Amino acid sequence: MRNTYLRLMQLVTGILIAVLLGIHTVIMHLDAILGFFGVAVTEPTSWESMIGRASQAIWVGLYIALLAVVLYHALNGLRGIILELTPSTRTERIVTWVIIAFGIIAFIGGSYVPLALLIS
Amino acid sequence: MTEDSIKQITLKVQRYNPEQDSTPHFQEFLVPVSRGTTVLEGLLYIKENLDSTLTFRTSCRMAICGSCGMLINNYPHLACHTQIEEFHSDTLTIKPLPNLPILKDLVTDLIPFFNTHKSIKPYTIRHETEEMENPTAEFTQTPQELETFLQFTYCVKCGICISACPTSASDKLFLGPQALAQCYRYCADNRDEGWQERFLLVDTDHGVWHCHLAGACSEACPKGLDPALAIQLLKRRLTSQAIGLRKKQQSSPVASPITETKAKVPFPEFTAKES
Repeated sequence: MRNTYLRLMQLVTGILIAVLLGIHTVIMHLDAILGFFGVAVTEPTSWESMIGRASQAIWVGLYIALLAVVLYHALNGLRGIILELTPSTRTERIVTWVIIAFGIIAFIGGSYVPLALLIS
Repeated sequence: MTEDSIKQITLKVQRYNPEQDSTPHFQEFLVPVSRGTTVLEGLLYIKENLDSTLTFRTSCRMAICGSCGMLINNYPHLACHTQIEEFHSDTLTIKPLPNLPILKDLVTDLIPFFNTHKSIKPYTIRHETEEMENPTAEFTQTPQELETFLQFTYCVKCGICISACPTSASDKLFLGPQALAQCYRYCADNRDEGWQERFLLVDTDHGVWHCHLAGACSEACPKGLDPALAIQLLKRRLTSQAIGLRKKQQSSPVASPITETKAKVPFPEFTAKES
C-alpha cells in the first residue's frame, strides 16, 4: 500500500497548502480586508513586521510547516512526472533517492533562517 | 455493394511490412460505398478486389470479438462497428492502433496487452480450495450485487482504451485502463476473495495511481464501458483500505441444493380447486 499512502499524503498536503498559504496570503496581502473585519495589521510586508513574526514561535512553526508540505507536494509530483517520462525500473530507485535528498537539503536550508531568527 | 452504390470514397490506409519497409507509408484505395457500409466492409472490399496483401484482423463483424480495433480519422474505433457515412468525408485515413507495436499494416501486437491483462489475475479467487477444485454448486449473487460491476464484464479486450489513453502513450509500464478496470471488476465481485493479491499488483508506481483521469478510455470504448470510473472506484477501495475505513465485503456462499429451497411466492388462493 506504499503508493496509496504516498498519494493520500499528496491529497492531504494539497489541502494543507491551501490552508497555510491562505493564512500567509491573507496576512501579507489582504490587510485592507482584515481591517474591514476589525483586525488591525500594520504594514505586514515591512522589515519590522517580518522580524516581529520571526520572533513568534507560532509563525515560525507555520512557515516551517508550509515549507514541509510544499516540498512534499511538489517533489512527489515531480517524481511522478519523471517516472512517467522515463519508465524504467532501473531509474526508479535513483530518481526516488535524488528527490528525497533534494527535499531534505531544501528543508534544512529553508527552515534554518526562521529558526535562527527565532533563537536569536 | 454493387447495385446500391451511391459514391466512391478514398480509403487512405497505412501500410507497413517489416520485411520490406523501413517506415510505414500510406496507400490510397477507391472503394464503393452505400448506406450502412462499415469501414470493415470497405477494407474487405480492398482485400477481395484491389489488394489481397492488405493485412488486418477481423472475426465476428458485430463488435463482440474486439479484433478490428483501428485508428479511423485519428480516432480509435472498431472497424465493424463504424459506418463510413458517420464521417461525412470523401477520404478516410486508417491507421493501426497507437501505443501498441505494429506487426504488419493494420495489425498490432496484442501480446503485451494480454499479458498485462493476465497479470492482474482476471479470474475468481477463493480461499476454499476444495470447493474450487471440486465444485458442488455456484456461488450466490443477487442482481444488486451483480449491478455493481456488470458493465465492466462487457469488455471485449479490443485495446482501444489503451490506444486512447494519454498515460499509456507516455508510460510504457503503465498497466492501462483495461487491466485496471478488470481489476476493479473482480475486486467488486462478491464471489471473489482475491482483492488483497490484486491490490499489491496495482498499487505500484505504474499502477492505478498513475491514471491522470483524462477519461479518454471511457470516451473511446466501443462497448460504452466507463473504465475511468472503474479506476476511480479502485482508487477509493485502495484508499479506504489504507486508512482502515473499508467495509468488510462478505464473500458469497455456495448456493444450497435446489431440493432444499422453498418457493418464495405462495400458490394463489383463488386458484380453482377440483371439487
